[in-house]
Amino acid sequence: MRRSTTPALSLHGIDKAFGPVQALSGVDLDVHAGEVVALVGDNAAGKSTLAKIVAGVLSPDAGLIEVDGRPVTIPSASVARSLGIASVFQDLALCENLDVVQNLYLGQELRRGRSLDEAAMEDRAREILRSLTSRIPSVRTPVSVLSAGQRQTVAIARTLLGDPRLVVLDEPTASLSVSQTAEVLTHIESLRDLGHAVILISHNMTDVRAVADRVEVLRHGRNNGSFSSAGASYEEVIAAITGASRPTAVAG
Amino acid sequence: MNDGRSTSGSQTSLREANRGRIVEAVKRFGGLTQVELAEATGLSTATVSTIVKELTGAGVVDTHTTSRSGRRATRVTIARRVGLVAGVHVGHRHLRVALSDLGLEVVADQQLPLPSDHRVDTTLDRTALLIVDLLERVGADLDELLGVGVALPAPVDSATGMISVRGTMRGWDDLHIGQVLSKRLARPVFVDNDANLGALAEHDLGAARTHSDSVYVRVSYTTGAGIILNDHLHRGFAGTAGEIAHVQVDPQGQICRCGNRGCLDTVTGEAALLGLLRTSHGDLTLRDVVTLCREGDPGCNRAVADAGHRVGLVVAGLVTVLNPQVVVVGGELARAGDTLIDALRETMSRQALPNRIAPLEVVASELGDRAEMLGALALARRETDVAHDEARRRKMDARPGEEVTTP
Repeated sequence: MRRSTTPALSLHGIDKAFGPVQALSGVDLDVHAGEVVALVGDNAAGKSTLAKIVAGVLSPDAGLIEVDGRPVTIPSASVARSLGIASVFQDLALCENLDVVQNLYLGQELRRGRSLDEAAMEDRAREILRSLTSRIPSVRTPVSVLSAGQRQTVAIARTLLGDPRLVVLDEPTASLSVSQTAEVLTHIESLRDLGHAVILISHNMTDVRAVADRVEVLRHGRNNGSFSSAGASYEEVIAAITGASRPTAVAG
Repeated sequence: MNDGRSTSGSQTSLREANRGRIVEAVKRFGGLTQVELAEATGLSTATVSTIVKELTGAGVVDTHTTSRSGRRATRVTIARRVGLVAGVHVGHRHLRVALSDLGLEVVADQQLPLPSDHRVDTTLDRTALLIVDLLERVGADLDELLGVGVALPAPVDSATGMISVRGTMRGWDDLHIGQVLSKRLARPVFVDNDANLGALAEHDLGAARTHSDSVYVRVSYTTGAGIILNDHLHRGFAGTAGEIAHVQVDPQGQICRCGNRGCLDTVTGEAALLGLLRTSHGDLTLRDVVTLCREGDPGCNRAVADAGHRVGLVVAGLVTVLNPQVVVVGGELARAGDTLIDALRETMSRQALPNRIAPLEVVASELGDRAEMLGALALARRETDVAHDEARRRKMDARPGEEVTTP
């Protein structure tokens, strides 16, 4: 449910071209606190490009980005993080040889004096995993022995360390078993309940409709429809993805 | 918590608390190695090892040798005698699957959020896969599974496992749900209505366990009632007993999914409730309404209270006809603080026939959101042969001289 009237993140008229390829043209997107917005579309519709712009990995050629109503630029990933935007990409970027705590705090370790504050990091890691109702028994387990679903959990948990306002998840349920999918979708529900804004990129319409409040369709780099998840049928959304329907009245 | 025990803080109570922590951790994760168990509970590996040995001796947990990252390890799971049963609760917006032993001790439990109007093929497919995944999690084979109980939010004809009123679950009408699942899993599958199974669970394990006549009212995306008469679940001839969502409350009201007019569901169902709040609160989900009620939002509390009064009016009629000892209130909206149950109680005390011998009790569900899932497990246990024998034996132990059958 929306916790405020000002969007946590608002994109207006975003353009992005890679040489002759126009990846995004005039894309608009709003996400509010406590709201899950799904971004769906065919391959090369521009979903991941948009996510990378939000994460500060790519810069848009044109357009306006607002965070809590203030215009901002996101030139790098660290700026994105300082603006409270956390992203999980498909490759997760976890270190196999490190344990859960080390992965969560990699590059942002807590220190006490000259040494690492292991106890504080462990406690916070446990707390975050519990808030996500995770099933990882030990925070000292190396990531290499975790299942695909548990790795996704660790990646999501890492985004929560800085208490972000927006979490971007790129295909979090791709190649997961049903019980792992169940866990990740439950995490997304918890993120929403904790008042975070969430952008969920996915191909799986069942997963999208299970947790999203709104479904935004991209097609060839343009907005091609916006659906309230409760009211939209599979057929309508799929028609918009494939181009069988054009956007009509776009509901906010 | 600390019920006046003088030994609290002593060695014995500490050991007891540690045992509790270990059993709880094993239940939560399904199965763990001893090292993981030490991590999860914060106890030393030596303590864990000692307690696990004790618990194995007492038959509470089982240990198996396994390997973790190339090293030998001892995996600890909750001990189960005879076999396992699976309980499935298909809700409007979630699927819940659990495994338990025949003592209804839950050994694994998983929820999956579902889209509204979820498709029958996808949901049944995911149910079967989740059951297999959970069996794997507790280290069991499919042939240890004795039966599966399924709770559906629609009236079910238990003989055929089909939904007995068209239109109550869009797209689910023409399928033999039990047959589809039992074909997938090669295990017996028993299907029943969720309110019926909630009633069964509250009667066997929850708020109605000391009563022989009870009504369980489930106020959720839709409303339903499960009726227990003389310790037996009353399903009706084709499973539509207790379908209070389709009692008429407004002759001039809207047309219902069932085809009639002004049913309770058109006034207190999910769509009606969220519709009431749309102008003031925008688009909400039922979960949001529950959260907002608990946060003290006046609009949401008003909507839920009004729904409680309307439901109370219908349940008052049911109670006057059946004269149960207790009405147990459950379902998603029952978790919105006391708003729903207070409204229900108030209306019923005004409308139901006052009984001076044994005044009607209206109480909150004790099993909460687990009621329907536990009912599905109880159904699977009852319907499975081994379970049947055990239950019969237990009954004979409890009540000698009654129902004596020679084996």
